[in-house]
Amino acid sequence: MTDRLTSAEHIHLWDTFRSGSRDAFSKLYELFAADLYRYGYNLIRNRQVVEDCLHELFLHLHENRERLGATDNIRFYLYRSLRRRLLDTVGRLNKLDSDSYIFDTAEFLIQPYESALIDEQLLDQQKLVLIHELNRLPKRQKEILYLVYMKGLSYQQAAEVMDITMKSVYNTINVALTTLRAYVRESFKQRGVVLSVAGAVLAYFMKI
Amino acid sequence: MPHPAFTVEDFCKDPDFIRWVAMPTDESNRFWQLYMAENPGQVPDIQIAIDYVKTIRFRENEPSQQDLARLKQRIWADIEPPISNRNPHWTGPVRTVQWYRQPYWAAAAVVLLVSLVGVGWWAWRANADLTYQTAFGKIQEIKLADGSVVTLNANSSLKVADNLLDGPVREVWLNGEAYFDIAKRQGSKFIVHTPEANVEVLGTEFNVNTRREQTNVVLHEGKVQLSADNQSAVVMKPGDMAIVTPKSRQIQLKSVQPDAYDAWKESYIVLDGKSLPEIIDILQDTFGVTIKLDDARLAGKKLTGKLRTEVADDCVDNLSIILESEVSKTGDTYVLK
Repeated sequence: MTDRLTSAEHIHLWDTFRSGSRDAFSKLYELFAADLYRYGYNLIRNRQVVEDCLHELFLHLHENRERLGATDNIRFYLYRSLRRRLLDTVGRLNKLDSDSYIFDTAEFLIQPYESALIDEQLLDQQKLVLIHELNRLPKRQKEILYLVYMKGLSYQQAAEVMDITMKSVYNTINVALTTLRAYVRESFKQRGVVLSVAGAVLAYFMKI
Repeated sequence: MPHPAFTVEDFCKDPDFIRWVAMPTDESNRFWQLYMAENPGQVPDIQIAIDYVKTIRFRENEPSQQDLARLKQRIWADIEPPISNRNPHWTGPVRTVQWYRQPYWAAAAVVLLVSLVGVGWWAWRANADLTYQTAFGKIQEIKLADGSVVTLNANSSLKVADNLLDGPVREVWLNGEAYFDIAKRQGSKFIVHTPEANVEVLGTEFNVNTRREQTNVVLHEGKVQLSADNQSAVVMKPGDMAIVTPKSRQIQLKSVQPDAYDAWKESYIVLDGKSLPEIIDILQDTFGVTIKLDDARLAGKKLTGKLRTEVADDCVDNLSIILESEVSKTGDTYVLK
């Protein structure tokens, strides 16, 4: 499962870990290993490489815990380290050419809407068109959307994880929203979602 | 920070808003509930923005609990100090007797050696030229001597060479359909021979289907090379599907969602994107039954979703429900109308 920690809890967990607590280290693994695995596997479709890099990453954290800097978002910190490690490893193993693997095969998944107000059959066709459009985005743009929209990183953090400028992140967000606007809003309007919106918001909160 | 002039798009670009939708916490729930209570006019726009943000989702591959537990073990094995260093009663000087000089260790080593030889010989004998065959409706998981795992679909056969552990090339012969998870062995290729093609790999996961006079290979991860008589070889990337037929002059490659092609391992098939005749072929191959359509209009129907394939009767019943048709059964033949 992904963590649902507040910034304060992130800071606390990280500081406890840095001061040498074995329990905090265990907790880091329990909270973030699966999530890092998923991100790693989207970067490099090779379980062995992903596992080896995670192994090295956690050992590095453990051995250097007293020298690590502070953070209020552990996920961001770990993502950045894992990404560097994966790219280094893949660069060394010239079997796979690194650039062609990154997010190349990552695919968008349009989930059923929780509001359940939209006729599913109509949405299915809409979904296919939208998935097709989003999947045509270059892989770096896909990765930006993944980090920002699925993992909740800030623009600054996403840019740092990927070693790119904030401007690229902004541009990508704009491209994605334009695509979404063209394909989603029409269908939302046609289905009269806006009319029953109060109920939907209520239903949304009942679920979280 | 959001303010009352925010449009749908502004919300969609606001990192705090995105983080709330993607990973809500008690803190952010409180904040946004309060914000909506104070700005009721913006609630419809916020709902649209929530739907937008939730639309951007990637397919993710879940690591299994075993994967994570094994990885944790690896890490912990490297950071836990060895048991002897932690023994609080250990105070005397370090004795430097070599382990093999201690009589009980030597005895244990001999016993171990003898049993290893025995087990090794037994494994070697047991492994000589094995052929596995599955019945209709049955799936079998086979662990090969080199650590590779093959899941054999119903009505399929796999012949395994007897030199998987020491031969320069590891070879198997497949008829039917199987999913391969190949263990890496330094410098040793693994080749799956089918009636139409040879799939050559170093260590990877992929699905091979040789039914109906053609071979389909879907690559999950890693890299494989595919060759066939009289056709030039192709190198596949993850997510590629290759189709080899004796009739065509070149191996065809296309991008697919690999999960849709190995769902049979979990006893279901993914219907999306397949035509009804294709689905009927799969069911006939799996169960050894005949399925006929008594209404030509059925053939053109589009299907979506998943179909469980554990029991033939239930499976065909569910198919008829999806098709909104009636089903009748005589012997091994089902008729849909």
